[in-house]
Amino acid sequence: MSLLSRLKGLLQIGRLERDLEEELRSHIEMRVADNMVAGMSPQEARYDAQRRFGNSTLLKEDTRAVDIVAWIETAGQNLRYAGRMLQRSPGFAVVAILTLALGIGANIAIFTVVHAIVLQPLPFSHPEQLVRVYDDLRSSNTHNVGMSVPELWDLRDRSGVFQDISVIYPVDANITGGERPERVELLGTGADYFTMLGVHAQLGRTYVPADALPGFSEPVVISDAYWRRGFGADPNILGRKIRMDGDVYTIAGVMPPNFRHPGRTLTTDVDLWATCGLAAAPFPAPPIRAVRLLPGAMGRLKPGLTVAQAQTQLDSFVAQLTRQFPEEYPTTARWGVRIVPIQQDLVGNVRTELLVLFAAVAFVLLIACVNLANLLLARSAARQREIAIRLAIGAGSSRLITQLLTESILLAAISGAAALVTVFWLKDSLLRLAPADLPRLSEITLSPGVLLFAFIISILTGVIFGLVPALQATDGSHVTALREGTRGSGFSKHQLKSSRFLVASEIALSLVLLIGAGLLFRSFWHLLEVRPGFEPSQVVTAKLWLAVPNDPKEDPYFTPEKRAAFHREALRRISTIPGVEQAALGTPASLPMDSQRNQFSFVIENRPVDSERAPVAEISSVTPAYFSVLKTPLISGRLFADSDDTQGQQVILIDESLARRYWPDSSPVGQRIRPVTRSARNPNAPIPWFTIVGVVGNIKSDGFDDAGEPHIYRPVFQSPPYASVVFVRTSSDPGSIGETIRAEVQHVDPGIPVFSVRTMSSVLSASLAERRFTLELLGVFAGVALLLASIGIYGVMAYTFSQRTNEIGIRMALGAKRADILGMALKEGAVTIGFGVAAGLVGSLGLTRFLQTMLFSVKATDPITFATIAALLTAVTLLACLVPAHRATRVDPLIALRHE
Amino acid sequence: MSKPKADVLQGTLALLVLKTLVRGPMHGYGITLHIQQVSKDVLRVEEGSLYPALHRMEQEGWIRAEWGTSENNRRARYYRLSETGRKQLAAEEKNWARLTEAVSAVLEFA
Repeated sequence: MSLLSRLKGLLQIGRLERDLEEELRSHIEMRVADNMVAGMSPQEARYDAQRRFGNSTLLKEDTRAVDIVAWIETAGQNLRYAGRMLQRSPGFAVVAILTLALGIGANIAIFTVVHAIVLQPLPFSHPEQLVRVYDDLRSSNTHNVGMSVPELWDLRDRSGVFQDISVIYPVDANITGGERPERVELLGTGADYFTMLGVHAQLGRTYVPADALPGFSEPVVISDAYWRRGFGADPNILGRKIRMDGDVYTIAGVMPPNFRHPGRTLTTDVDLWATCGLAAAPFPAPPIRAVRLLPGAMGRLKPGLTVAQAQTQLDSFVAQLTRQFPEEYPTTARWGVRIVPIQQDLVGNVRTELLVLFAAVAFVLLIACVNLANLLLARSAARQREIAIRLAIGAGSSRLITQLLTESILLAAISGAAALVTVFWLKDSLLRLAPADLPRLSEITLSPGVLLFAFIISILTGVIFGLVPALQATDGSHVTALREGTRGSGFSKHQLKSSRFLVASEIALSLVLLIGAGLLFRSFWHLLEVRPGFEPSQVVTAKLWLAVPNDPKEDPYFTPEKRAAFHREALRRISTIPGVEQAALGTPASLPMDSQRNQFSFVIENRPVDSERAPVAEISSVTPAYFSVLKTPLISGRLFADSDDTQGQQVILIDESLARRYWPDSSPVGQRIRPVTRSARNPNAPIPWFTIVGVVGNIKSDGFDDAGEPHIYRPVFQSPPYASVVFVRTSSDPGSIGETIRAEVQHVDPGIPVFSVRTMSSVLSASLAERRFTLELLGVFAGVALLLASIGIYGVMAYTFSQRTNEIGIRMALGAKRADILGMALKEGAVTIGFGVAAGLVGSLGLTRFLQTMLFSVKATDPITFATIAALLTAVTLLACLVPAHRATRVDPLIALRHE
Repeated sequence: MSKPKADVLQGTLALLVLKTLVRGPMHGYGITLHIQQVSKDVLRVEEGSLYPALHRMEQEGWIRAEWGTSENNRRARYYRLSETGRKQLAAEEKNWARLTEAVSAVLEFA
């Protein structure tokens, strides 16, 4: 009977019962009537009718045996029986539960992360409407070039695509007035940011469109974390005035602890939200269309619009703007606006990693299942006579299969529960292993979805590892089993075949995992060999930020000369710190592997504009010592000199890759380039020419695995910045120098915070953290797989050889040498291993391409990796075969002969 | 008891029930009566085996059951032959013919 009709029976159980009773009653009544017609007394007639049914309760039972009640009762019996069987062999139960709990636990843990990060929608109403908005220059293949204020307004007012759109402007800000100046992460947004996300404050209020002003508005909103860190969770915080970047703001609200800005930030989570109209100081008024000051925007699409439809509408809107403003949007630049769903924007790059890890743990669990299936096979060999006898005297084989499956499902369920509890207890320590910049880290919880997953995977596990042994045990060859059973109770030939098949599949699964891990390992190795173009050891970096008040008159560093003076003095003091060999300074974009970059499109003097690919580079400003602190070589020309300041000629250095791309056959030194766009601060000044004075070595600034854009460097003192990074090469302990740098900087101006003090080495290793995490996890999983596969083949060989002690004794007695016996074992093992490795290689060829995006200068089908790993696995598993064979040869032939 | 009555041979009950139902829908009591009458009281269907058999055949899809009213205005459960039931009947009839042929062949030989 199918499960479906059983379930139907379960639903109809009451009705069936009533139907049956009524049917029997009607039968009896008819018989009574006929009996009375035949001349019986009423009492006699009824007695006869009932007698014919015998025991009517028993009859009902019989009739119903086909129904669900019986099924449930049988299940209950099976469960009790299974429980007793496990109690009787606690050793087996413990090993099985530990193995399975490990496999299921790993699956639950990874699924919890996948569920929270990839599957679960972001915690906003209609999250599918929320998009990140980027500007691209498609001609130079440059993404995310930033947005100008008029563009933002056009998108808001004229595109017809957005309900709300808000600028997203993460910046450093200085909070002064406390014991020492503190750097916070400020997110500048539009006034409708919170209404767009549909979120509310836990205390006070968020700012709303009515708060909008041309410049910054006074009410600001702080995060729960900052409220606790900076204000001791003061319940009377509302209305508190704070001085930020020299201006006074009022705290209007505190966001709830679970709210986070759904996007990338500079260094930490957002501490503080402020709104700005972008049409007054510190922004240039009136705004200039061609100056892309804003990093980007976030918007909510109009209801009913899909992202694809919205993108189509935006494309035609962009075409319309390009026609309307030909000067700002040269057709050669191919300006475009791109929208990305925020979930994809936030988690897009870890998605593949997580799915690969998920597949890996699924493999580990499968391998664990195969191992257990083997263990059960061996056990069922021991129970073979019991099963054969029960089959012979007429037990239904489906009943026996159900009973054996109940045992395995019970085991899996116990393991699943144990795994769930363990994952729950270990959750926080496990999460600490994850890279800190994993998006949505705080949202990882054991949700109902996870519990459902745990339940399903446990049951499934039980069925998977129980099915083969159960089918095997009851496959009808019980006559043979009875006969074989007389000679001890060993593996039948048939079982041996199943168990070898299981081991081969286990080897295949492990090989896929190992090759995956091997490819990642080789990628990582290649990455470590990549020369970053600088020498990170003994270099310490720290960030500074000169506040920009909204009113220029309040700004002590308004003139370039003031900023230059501050930086010169700070740098001079830092250079005198004992142990500091050399110190340099640059703009934030000069810090390699960090998040801030400035794209710079330029024109080369006396060269026609290339319409297909406009020259573009990353630009930053540095002091002359920058290259010697980082030990980046000068290739030709000269480095900057102290005389390259605001008074002198505008000079630049370029890196080798830029030189090779645009001056492949000549020296670039002495050539001139200039930016495509005008300066935001000086929109009316003519665009200046920059003279190339030298070529320096390439610095990898976007990551080891990123070819990156070429670089252009300007002297810091020709356009002194507000934000800067200090680089110090020190001979003393890099860990302790941060405080000294802070003291020296605050000696120059006590209002300037020093933050993000890190060694260059830790900056580099942070840039590899995600890869390292994936590699480590996959490596652990592959190692577990290798171990399980070795145990699997060891177990099977040990079992068969213990069964054959007798045979081996005879062989040895007849003169077989130890080497012969070992050779025999090797030959038997090699067949199984060979099949497993071949299947694993085929599987890997098919599967490793999903790793492609995570690989670096290794092909997904790298023959070296494939060959090495296959050889390694073959060697380890062959060794696992040899151990039991070796042991068998050491038994005294006399004992072996008597062994039964 | 005037005549010796044989219980229905193991395994032939389904055949007899299916054949009975060819004449049209019938309730359980009617089925026992019909078999008993047609076999001239030689075959007797035990109530204790009839109902489990009927329910099993219903699960197999050979027959369908529905409530109806008997000749004497009594509510009774009527069984009706289904299409698969007809096929099953044909198969069992063929089987039976082979069996009896085989048995008589053995008898004649001896």
